[in-house]
Amino acid sequence: MKTLNKSDYRFLLPAVIVVAVMTQVPFLLTIIFSTLRWNLSRPDLGRAFDGFANFWHYLKIDSLSQIPEFYTILWQTIVITGMSLVLCAIGGFLLALLMDHEIPGVNIARTLMLGPFFVMSTASGVIWKTTIFNTTFGWYGVIAKALGFTPVDLISYHPLFVIILLFTWQWMPFFILVLLAGLQGIPQDLVDSMKIDGVNWVQGVFRIKLPLIMNHMRVAVMLGLVFIIKEFGLILVTTAGGPGTRSYTLPYAVYTQVFLANNVGRASALAVMTVVLTLVLVNLLYRSIVKRNEKYS
Amino acid sequence: MENRSIQDVQKKIHRNKLIRKILLTLAVYLIATLYFFPILYMFLSGFKTEAQAVSPSIFFTPTLETYAKVLSNSTMWGYLRNSLIQVVGATTISLLLGIPAAFTLVFGRLKHRDSGNKYYLWFITTILLPPVAVLIPLFTWFQQLRLINSPWGLMAAYVGFHTPIVVWMVHSFFSDLPLEIFEAADLDGTSKFQQMRLIAIPLARTGIISAALLVAVFIWNEFFLGFNLTGNPTATLPVYMSRFREQQGMFVAQLSASSTIAVLPAIILGWMTQKALVKGLTMGAVKG
Repeated sequence: MKTLNKSDYRFLLPAVIVVAVMTQVPFLLTIIFSTLRWNLSRPDLGRAFDGFANFWHYLKIDSLSQIPEFYTILWQTIVITGMSLVLCAIGGFLLALLMDHEIPGVNIARTLMLGPFFVMSTASGVIWKTTIFNTTFGWYGVIAKALGFTPVDLISYHPLFVIILLFTWQWMPFFILVLLAGLQGIPQDLVDSMKIDGVNWVQGVFRIKLPLIMNHMRVAVMLGLVFIIKEFGLILVTTAGGPGTRSYTLPYAVYTQVFLANNVGRASALAVMTVVLTLVLVNLLYRSIVKRNEKYS
Repeated sequence: MENRSIQDVQKKIHRNKLIRKILLTLAVYLIATLYFFPILYMFLSGFKTEAQAVSPSIFFTPTLETYAKVLSNSTMWGYLRNSLIQVVGATTISLLLGIPAAFTLVFGRLKHRDSGNKYYLWFITTILLPPVAVLIPLFTWFQQLRLINSPWGLMAAYVGFHTPIVVWMVHSFFSDLPLEIFEAADLDGTSKFQQMRLIAIPLARTGIISAALLVAVFIWNEFFLGFNLTGNPTATLPVYMSRFREQQGMFVAQLSASSTIAVLPAIILGWMTQKALVKGLTMGAVKG
């Protein structure tokens, strides 16, 4: 029995060790770095323990009239992630309903809609920026001019809108895929009895179908949250965080702190706060799933 | 008389249903095409000359000139090679580590009955960890170990981040297999390794292949670590795409042809995984 135990752990341990060394250990180091005063461009100052000074630098509010930049960035991160998820959830649900019909070649349409999900974000960012959002050569500019408008440069004037639109475009297919699986799991006799009982479309969709696939929705939102909150490439190639810091998110701010400002301590503090934000939001969602499962079982 | 009117009504209902279905079909196709349009247009623009590509148009005489130009560009090949090294290397190692781990979590005997669950949850929480949380230490390590200009550093990071995804997905496919087979195999005296190699892996073959393809797509598309943990000789395709406009300038046709090359493999592999994607990534969580 004992040898059996040993041999079973032998299968598990390599994976655990590699994952721990490449993710957990660096994360612990990041937490340690976040308490250090450590600027790579000032080697003369060296590394020194500095307590919570790095966090305090971002969190401290001197006066209410001048809210520090950190809060703006935090807010932008939440707005970008939240708005993208809301749009994905609404659009994804409606499109999943549409794709749930038995029509010839519906699988081709479903497959086409899934495409954007697998496109690398830097490529989709560059393509949208050049062939669509460009005010002279892009579709947006050409169509706006044909309709008699002067196209505004969306990327400089409405950077958050552009980023939210692109995140939604990229992630809605995933929502459609998951929600469609949910819709197709609804038993046919339930759908039939809905028809016999004369339930109208709105009631049928929002009172019966949506509650039935709510867990699919929550899972899609949770995975979407985890992936959208850490997205970096799309912001870099479309707005580069700008104008100014108007489209910074927390991961983007970490990048600029460590590679442009060389401030390891402060960048680590931001990275730790990114993780905390992710965990808090995921935890809230996860709890709502568990609570719901308890209610129904 | 009465009979005929009933028939008329039936005909009318039938006709209305048909019209509804045709409209619905058109709507579905229109929406799907519009949604896919940016990719479609990118694909088309790769067959234009630079002069044709300047103004948006769908109808033009296609040419292979731009593709020939892009493919003769040796920098692109370098990035492509780096991407392939990462995808093949990191996916293979992630599978070699992740499949035995998932097998042990489902069928293996661990110290306590719920140890399997604990390790499983631990793997899942690592998926939640954003790469910014590990970037700074990894960067300092790789600089000290001179790994920035070798593919091994980035590959190790990719293995660390994608092994949990393999464990997560393969775990859900192994959980579907009937436990009795393995109990019988235990009685027959086969070792756990034999059970995994000869029973579990062949039975969960399609799921494992999809997990592998999906991880390959994730690694092919990964940008944050690929951008920050590589130097010029090791940078991958997403990095090339991000630098395209500053390095090559505003050449719409070349940009389109290059991004088609960068994007098409992932789209095709992704399409092949779509069924397993839903099952592997969500079902465990949907069941709660």
